[in-house]
Amino acid sequence: MRLPFTAGVFPLIILLMTGCKPNTTDRINNAASITSTSRLPENPLEMTPMAVSLQPDAKTMSTLYGNGIATKRLRDGADYATGSVLYLVTWKGKADPDWFGARIPDRVTTIERISFDQNGQKSYAFFKGPAWYADTDMKEEERRGIILSIPIATSP
Amino acid sequence: MKLKFKIIGCMLSLVLLAQLIRPEEISSVKTKPVKRLAGVPEEVAKVLETSCFDCHSSQTRWRWFDRLTPVNFLVASHIRDGRKALDFSQWDSLATPQRNAMLYFALNGILSKEMPLSSYTALHPAAKLDQKEIDLLRNYLLNNVVSKPASVESNSNGADKPFMMEVKKSPNGIAYLPNYRNWKAISTTERFDNGTIRIIFGNPIAVEAIHEGKTNPWPDGTIFAKTAWKQQQGKDGSVYAGQFVQVEFMIKDVKRYAGTKGWGWARWKGENLLPYGKTVKFDSECISCHRPERDNDYVFTRPLDIRDLNKK
Ligand code: HEC
Ligand code: HEC
Repeated sequence: MRLPFTAGVFPLIILLMTGCKPNTTDRINNAASITSTSRLPENPLEMTPMAVSLQPDAKTMSTLYGNGIATKRLRDGADYATGSVLYLVTWKGKADPDWFGARIPDRVTTIERISFDQNGQKSYAFFKGPAWYADTDMKEEERRGIILSIPIATSP
Repeated sequence: MKLKFKIIGCMLSLVLLAQLIRPEEISSVKTKPVKRLAGVPEEVAKVLETSCFDCHSSQTRWRWFDRLTPVNFLVASHIRDGRKALDFSQWDSLATPQRNAMLYFALNGILSKEMPLSSYTALHPAAKLDQKEIDLLRNYLLNNVVSKPASVESNSNGADKPFMMEVKKSPNGIAYLPNYRNWKAISTTERFDNGTIRIIFGNPIAVEAIHEGKTNPWPDGTIFAKTAWKQQQGKDGSVYAGQFVQVEFMIKDVKRYAGTKGWGWARWKGENLLPYGKTVKFDSECISCHRPERDNDYVFTRPLDIRDLNKK
């Protein structure tokens, strides 16, 4: 009678102990990660971050990414050469749960892509993210202008 | 019967004798009253004074039970460590941005439920903060101490900057790592407490660890670089990265950095990349602020998962 009882209590204790360990998986910001590319040609998060911006009214935050050719601008301030690909990923911001005073990315609202094709053509494409809201006004000409004029975040 | 009395007598005299051994903090009456914190509303100053000053300033009110050996040794060690982490006695000598940083640091200590120490509030219930007092601090900071972006339009685009500058080592011997701008962004943060905008870069080992979910602890070889820029208001109302402030590193090597929680800590400031820190042990400041994350290997950032979406 006693043995099964002790045998039963031990796993219970172990279960309780392991159950209280901090959960590591929820430290990854999955909500803000780009996890599927149904229509994206590539994952912008894999590219090199070049600039950041905040839109206080919309409470969003954006990062400008570039491919290898585009990031030449980071080093020497050169214009974007043919073959450059830029992405502007915009997230809804949220309060950092670990630091009062900080805001961090929540879900993606929009992803925009500009590529510098042969003979000076620039193509613009736009993708809705999970936090897209319908009344966002995305005028292509205006958006191109904004994306191309974001000041690069320079560091020594 | 008699033996029992003898034992009790012996124990009593031991306890009394022990009272002769006391930490120097008590004997050398170092406690001098600190002035009311200047430049903040009286209620805010009052809350911090009541709940924090015993351990975080030179103004310690020793209660009779705090003076008993061995309790007094515990109290003295709290004061020593507490003042090392945060010392309100320095308030008057600090400039406004440093004072503001101190207030945010203090509030985050409270919000992370680390402070005030629970062993202390058990005996000093008045020091416990209720929600009203926490909201008072929070609202004061939100309404008065939020950094606004500068409104000059930046026109530098990285051209004509000095090339190949010689960067000095950090006081703890860590050498500068110039290549972090090729790493991936594992997060970005907007800091309204000090008016900066940041990118947190992770090296390839860090990105791989995130992808495999092995981030607690982070593997040896992981490196984070965090850059901060001043916020700058653009003409269109957006805020951009303006002047470069600093870059900070955390380098994981359990053996090499065993004395500093398994991480090498270093910071370089300004366009000239001047190493930060006056002494070899400057990194205790980094560790003390990162301490609430000790169950997360001292890392604050909740990283993005960066996948190669074309694979599979
Ligand atoms: C009983 C003494 C005591 C009281 C009271 C106390 N602290 Fe502390 N505090 C400490 C000690 C000791 C440390 C250092 C912890 C360490 O490094 O191990 C510390 C560290 C800190 C830190 C550094 C980060 C951390 O969490 O380790 C902050 C911030 C802080 N205290 C804020 C506060 C605030 C705000 C109050 C008042 C609401 C307060 N403390 C009240 C003893 C105290
Ligand atoms: C006053 C508190 C504080 C101090 C002091 C501090 N940090 Fe941090 N650190 C933070 C916070 C909060 C974050 C989260 C990212 C953000 O919002 O800036 C962070 C993030 C970092 C990161 C990115 C990885 C992570 O943990 O999220 C690095 C690298 C870093 N800090 C290095 C340092 C170094 C080196 C020092 C000392 C020279 C230092 N920190 C001192 C608060 C602090």
